[in-house]
Amino acid sequence: MTAQAGGPVPGLPAEAHAGSRGAALGRLWPFGPAAAVLLFLFFIPLAIVFVYSFWTVQNLQLIPTWTLQNYLKFFQTDTYIRTFLKTIIMAVLVTAAGIGMAFPFAYFLARYVSTRWQRVLLLAVIIPFWSSYLVRVYAWQAILGEKGALNWLLMQVGLISEPLTIFLYNDVGVFIVLTYVYFPFAALSLYSSLEKFDFTQLTAAQDLGATPLRAMRRILLPQVRPGFITAMIFVFIPIIGEYLTPTLVGGTKGVLIGNLIVNFYRGGAFPAMAAASFIIAAFIILLLVLFRRYLQLDDVVTKL
Amino acid sequence: MAKPMDRLETMPVSRRSRATRNAFRAWSLVVFAFLYVPIAFLVLFSFEDSRTPGLPFTGFTLDWYTSLPENSQLIGAVANSIVIAIIVAAVATLVGTMAAFPLVRGGIRWPNAARVAFTMPIMLPGILIGVGLVVFLAGTLDIQLSQLTVIAGHLVLTMPFVILIVAARLQGFDRRLEWAAADLGAGPATVIRRIVLPLIAPAILAAALISITLSIDEFVVTFFTVGSQLTLPIYIYTQIKFGVTPEVNAVATLVMVGTILALGLITLVATRGRRAGRAVVRRVRGGR
Repeated sequence: MTAQAGGPVPGLPAEAHAGSRGAALGRLWPFGPAAAVLLFLFFIPLAIVFVYSFWTVQNLQLIPTWTLQNYLKFFQTDTYIRTFLKTIIMAVLVTAAGIGMAFPFAYFLARYVSTRWQRVLLLAVIIPFWSSYLVRVYAWQAILGEKGALNWLLMQVGLISEPLTIFLYNDVGVFIVLTYVYFPFAALSLYSSLEKFDFTQLTAAQDLGATPLRAMRRILLPQVRPGFITAMIFVFIPIIGEYLTPTLVGGTKGVLIGNLIVNFYRGGAFPAMAAASFIIAAFIILLLVLFRRYLQLDDVVTKL
Repeated sequence: MAKPMDRLETMPVSRRSRATRNAFRAWSLVVFAFLYVPIAFLVLFSFEDSRTPGLPFTGFTLDWYTSLPENSQLIGAVANSIVIAIIVAAVATLVGTMAAFPLVRGGIRWPNAARVAFTMPIMLPGILIGVGLVVFLAGTLDIQLSQLTVIAGHLVLTMPFVILIVAARLQGFDRRLEWAAADLGAGPATVIRRIVLPLIAPAILAAALISITLSIDEFVVTFFTVGSQLTLPIYIYTQIKFGVTPEVNAVATLVMVGTILALGLITLVATRGRRAGRAVVRRVRGGR
């Protein structure tokens, strides 16, 4: 059994005869189709968007002029820049609200609930998340709409005599619905961090004289920081590109940058659309690069 | 499973800690109310008699459901969505599962860069993928928008999930099982078929089901890449834009029930699969 130096040993694991170029290729080919999908349906399209953002359009014809005009126009037009800033502010507020709601909840789940019930309650959070996004947005019509539950309740209590229209078709409605839609992301990210935390450390800190708040700040928070950052990224980034929620519950007043992009698209202003798209892409990529260390995508995805 | 410390730790030791715990519990109730009250009202209004759904509740009816099968537009949209989802899930699962192997087991020069590249479509908002695809496919390549372009768009979105899920499963894979099988004379194909695939099957199935759910639900990318066809979300969207009607509530309720059933199936398959996976391990390890 020792006289087989040289040729590949039948049935030995790949590592055993790796190193030769053929073996490396043999292990690499399964990657090909996925790489092709990614290249042709993601990276090349985005590269073309980038190129178009420097072109201009005349009579619905794209002209390769190489100009910064589209970007300049975006930053000089009042409504565009205001919509962009509003989108960022909205994303910040929703992220804060989502995490603010999710942290006590995830903490409760991880600390006070038995493992078995943790799984049940987590599933109860995920179920609405997996039910159609569109339906979840639409569901708020039943609460916030003119004939919705909120107006009915307020009228029953006697606070108002006529149904109010202030809950829908403005930024408040967009804020509420976005918080609703992205809450499960925040809850899942925070929970996967808290789940790993050993809560006896808090007791230990308090035994050593720390107040509960101090123990939280000094012991718990540093250890669950990755969860916070994952939650922030998972809530903040998709909101930057939100289109559906502002369209359905924001009306004309609750417009975000996603609506702007679709409007450019509908109006045939492809270079403007490309520039706006690239501005948010660049913004998001910058954030991802800054926080890349904390990204625990696997954690969240495998929990879904 | 429970460590002895668990009980001790969760036992309220003082009045104050009991109060804290009750506050947390109350907050969780608020959270669940927030999550489920809108859905409850959505469902309730689908049974409402009046043409404009809302409170006060005027009467109970099943009309909005019974009339749905006659709605050919809706049925067409549903059929479209299902066909697209099945194709997307099949391709994404196959291509994604294949890619997960070199990603986890080496062979790629920059595995981290590849990982980042693959998670990009998840991290960037769907609207950018939609814009990119419509510009590239319809603008540059001059391809007619159709179900095919929708499938292309959904593929970009679902494949990364498949890769991540299967890769996570492969990460914890005991390679010794494969080596043992190879030692006993199994060829690479047999090892894959008899050892590897059964063990990662739950992940593959979960990934396929998640791809189906994502595809059926996807709005923004579909919105950009769809031509004159309707998918279910596009249909619901146009209906909502048209006005809030009980029919939309009925459709939405059915969609909700459908996805929850699918989720139940995923969980069931995943746990069953895990058990089956363990059985394989037991057989391999326990057998002679």
